[in-house]
Amino acid sequence: MTELRFTEEQRDCLQELINVAMGLASDKLARYLNTFVHLQVPAIRLVDTEQLPEHFASRYEQQSVTMISLGFFGDQGLRGETIMLYQLANVDVIAKLLGYSNDDSSEAEMLTDISSVLTTTFLNGLAEQLENSFSYAAPRILSSRDQHFADKLASTAEQWQLALQVDIRYQLTDYSFNCDMILLIPGEAMMRLRLILDQFLASF
Amino acid sequence: MALTALICDDSLLARNQLKKSLPADFDASITTASNGLEALAVLRSQEIGIVFLDLTMPELDGVGVLEAIKAEAMDCLVIVVSADIQPEMQKRVMELGALAFIQKPASAAKLADVMHKYGLI
Repeated sequence: MTELRFTEEQRDCLQELINVAMGLASDKLARYLNTFVHLQVPAIRLVDTEQLPEHFASRYEQQSVTMISLGFFGDQGLRGETIMLYQLANVDVIAKLLGYSNDDSSEAEMLTDISSVLTTTFLNGLAEQLENSFSYAAPRILSSRDQHFADKLASTAEQWQLALQVDIRYQLTDYSFNCDMILLIPGEAMMRLRLILDQFLASF
Repeated sequence: MALTALICDDSLLARNQLKKSLPADFDASITTASNGLEALAVLRSQEIGIVFLDLTMPELDGVGVLEAIKAEAMDCLVIVVSADIQPEMQKRVMELGALAFIQKPASAAKLADVMHKYGLI
């Protein structure tokens, strides 16, 4: 695990690339929901995938959560999976706003649509800066209205050795709507990512 | 007299990207700051002609810096260079007195364009 750590320069580089990609995604989300998104500095860290479920279980304690996954595949062996976690409080407000009907299946449809907007815009922005290009698997709902989502997160996360946890909180002005994004990247892709970051840094 | 410029961004990469993208004929001594509070400390103690300002930063964000520059009537030009490209944010920083808004990462052509327009090069 030690050899997979980022140097401070690599971490700073990745954080800035993520910041730019997040700006694009937030702009898309703001237009989609016709509101304003408060951007915060994204916190990124490498975590052992085993620790993920515990971390998120405590954050979302006693709330039901929807969890949506999107796999991505890029050039140079870059690949991974993003997981979006949505708190379901106030989701119905957004559903009404966007004209989705008020039942569980359309709520799932709405969150899949929002995830698709957010994650593909984010990942395309990241890929473009790295002069890479990603293709995507269809988004899938891992868990909906589930108090035991931590178990499902655990079974998804265990397929990967390491996770790059990007705490992105999308907070809207007009409505309370928070979601978290986790980027899961397998060990060998993480090595690739480090090489790509080094090449990128060498151009300055 | 050569111009003095301040680049304010929490990311080292972003500061380096911007430095590299500045026009070759921009004759200025460059100071850097890594958050809004550091930027204000520089602005209060030195003559700075032009600030390249990021928005999303810890401690004090770019909007906070613009507000302080306005409140203290500091005599400097500000070009915002940010990833937060939402129209509402662009409008807000322009209302707070920013000269221009440039999307991150700032291209050399766009920087040269804006700086030429305002007589900085």
